[in-house]
Amino acid sequence: MTQSLASMSTPRNRRLLDRLMNVLVGLAVVLALVPLVLIVADVVVQGASVVNLSFLTGLPKPPNVPGGGIGPAVEGSAIMVGVATLISVPVGVGAGIFFSEWPESRLSFISSFTNDVLAEFPSIVIGIFVYVVVVLTTHTFSALAGALALAIIMIPIVARTTEESLKIVPTTLREASMALGISRWKTVIRIVISTGKNGLATGILLAVARATGETAPLLLTALGSSFFLTGLSQPTAALPLLIFTYATSPYKIWQQEAWGAALVLVVFMLALNLFVKLVIGRKFSEIRAEI
Amino acid sequence: MPRLMDMGLEKLNALLLEMAVLSENAVTAAIDAYNTGKKSTQVNEMAEQLGSLHRQVSELTMELMARYQPVASDLRFIKSCFEISYGFFRYGRYAHDIVEVLNLIGDVSKCDHSAVQDTARKTLEMISMSVDAFTRRDVELARKIPSMDDAVDEKYRSHLRSVLQGKVDLKCALSAALILRYLERIADHASYIAESIVYISTGVEPNP
Amino acid sequence: MEMEIGTHKEVDVAQPSVETSEQADAVPATQTKLEVRKLKASFGSNMILKGVDLNIPDRRITAIMGPSGCGKTTFIRCLNRLHELTPGAKVEGEVMLDGTDIYSPRVDPVAIRRKIGMVFQKPNPFPTMTVYDNVAAGLKLAGERNRKVLDETVERSLRLAFLWDEVKNELKKSGSALSGGQQQRLCIARALAVSPEVLLMDEPASALDPTATAKIEEAMARLKKDYTIVIVTHNMQQAARVADYTAFFYLGELVEFGPTADLFEKPKKELTERYITGKFG
Repeated sequence: MTQSLASMSTPRNRRLLDRLMNVLVGLAVVLALVPLVLIVADVVVQGASVVNLSFLTGLPKPPNVPGGGIGPAVEGSAIMVGVATLISVPVGVGAGIFFSEWPESRLSFISSFTNDVLAEFPSIVIGIFVYVVVVLTTHTFSALAGALALAIIMIPIVARTTEESLKIVPTTLREASMALGISRWKTVIRIVISTGKNGLATGILLAVARATGETAPLLLTALGSSFFLTGLSQPTAALPLLIFTYATSPYKIWQQEAWGAALVLVVFMLALNLFVKLVIGRKFSEIRAEI
Repeated sequence: MPRLMDMGLEKLNALLLEMAVLSENAVTAAIDAYNTGKKSTQVNEMAEQLGSLHRQVSELTMELMARYQPVASDLRFIKSCFEISYGFFRYGRYAHDIVEVLNLIGDVSKCDHSAVQDTARKTLEMISMSVDAFTRRDVELARKIPSMDDAVDEKYRSHLRSVLQGKVDLKCALSAALILRYLERIADHASYIAESIVYISTGVEPNP
Repeated sequence: MEMEIGTHKEVDVAQPSVETSEQADAVPATQTKLEVRKLKASFGSNMILKGVDLNIPDRRITAIMGPSGCGKTTFIRCLNRLHELTPGAKVEGEVMLDGTDIYSPRVDPVAIRRKIGMVFQKPNPFPTMTVYDNVAAGLKLAGERNRKVLDETVERSLRLAFLWDEVKNELKKSGSALSGGQQQRLCIARALAVSPEVLLMDEPASALDPTATAKIEEAMARLKKDYTIVIVTHNMQQAARVADYTAFFYLGELVEFGPTADLFEKPKKELTERYITGKFG
């Protein structure tokens, strides 16, 4: 017995409900995006006029004197994040490998849990910790202290993303490798990491992005400076610090320059995230599809 | 849990049971015709029917093997069914041949029927046992059959000897000789059937 | 129903079996390659193999058959010491490869796995490597640098796996870009490249279509001239097609073992008969 086409079509109220839900969900997406869009727009509008090459590379000027630059801040951020990366990548990747490949070990279980806790730690507390341990003992604020604080923030992120990327690699690949008579170490290094390398790269870059934007820990460790670096054991400028200082100052020109610095930071973050999503992300999903 | 193939196996079994009963009746009817002299076309019809049933069995066994790739006892059963159905088919064929002899030779009422009747009784017993053994898959019963073949063979040979000694009238001698030959062949087939029945259960190959 | 469990050797492979010599390659084996004695395997508190005694004949194909959960996959994973890699897994008993127990503490498991290779159920080529690199992986990671040796080994292995003609001009293609059947043959080539003596295959064709399956079976028939092959299969027709010897496992025990033709025509054990005729399982 065939039914007429009319009796098989979606009833009217179901279609209305469908459409209503679509609208609501769309609204939610827009609402979620609005802050990001507004912030970026604001930053661009306010800061674009200030940014040029001399701004990016020049020394800061005294308050209310136009033509200042953020050179030292850029250099400071770059160096501190760089050193932090050099410290956190080996430690974080190593820990991530351990969590992923030897999960049966007690140490692994405890550390993994600890790692997750550390990842969510308030960064100001990490700043205080490094202040006490490094700054007080060396009697100086320093780039090294700042780098250390950033490293402590980065390590859990790198470890967690490494662990997750390696866990996605199917067990059957490890078994295939071991069944060829390849030792466990070599299997991990040459097969597992090679398969999960995109995830690793993603994790590292995201940790870098996070560290670049951190302000609180640097307040207590790097302190800030108006000069280019002369050594790691000196106080250093950093972009977030500069923004904080300038934006809370009463000087119009400094406030303007804060917007400029904010723009630099935002552009850097967006570029990094886009790079991760578009370049690494595509390669990653290719491999995912074949697994 | 019934398997897909079980329906086919049941059909095969039913065909063989039908052939078993039919072939036993055919031979009985043929011997009756010899004893009473009454002619009938019954036996011919039964023989033809047996031929057709054997063809059906042949097709069904091929189909079951191609479709289900049977193994172990199923495989042995199917192989044996084909061989046994050939045996039943031959029963019918020889019954038909016996009636043909009677048609050719004509009236044998004045002949000494004792040799044939004696042998026929033994042969019919072997047929009946083979049918029973197949129906009930009775291996012990089947094992008894091949030894009875010797008695039938001996009857056939002794009749030939007395014919050669010239003691019997030609018409009687010829008809008896031919019919005894057919009975002897039927007995052989009963033995083959018995061996196939043993093979189904034990997997011991029947002798060629 | 009486079940004699394999507490003694189920077949004496040195004894020729005359009735089964219809196939040219069902020539009785003269040697045992792998002697399994009282093998027990567990996972946590689950006893999977309850004490198996089995002689795997040299340079023949032995099929391991049985319903799901009977322990057949665990069994072959014990043959190349892969089972013990799972956390919580334990193995007891002996597996003698040419007279040496592979579980002896003096034996290096890594070396054993080079001698006893494995092909898995779902093809698993290394996704970041080319066809060439996949096949060469075992050698390269063991330290082989000589380009000529690698080239020759790759070609030889791909030929043995019946894949050379299809990929000889595409060796730089990613291993994962091949079809399912080709990937599985790639995995076979990869396993052969390290020159094992025994090849274990865990349902190698179960994820493949009939044509691809046929190619794998063809390859196996040629390979057994030089390699001892043990194949786990749930497909009885496949066991009937390719195997010289078949073992039937049930609930962690070996029920019956013998030449395939015998086992499929006249199984000795009631349990075997019921399983292969489909009356259970």
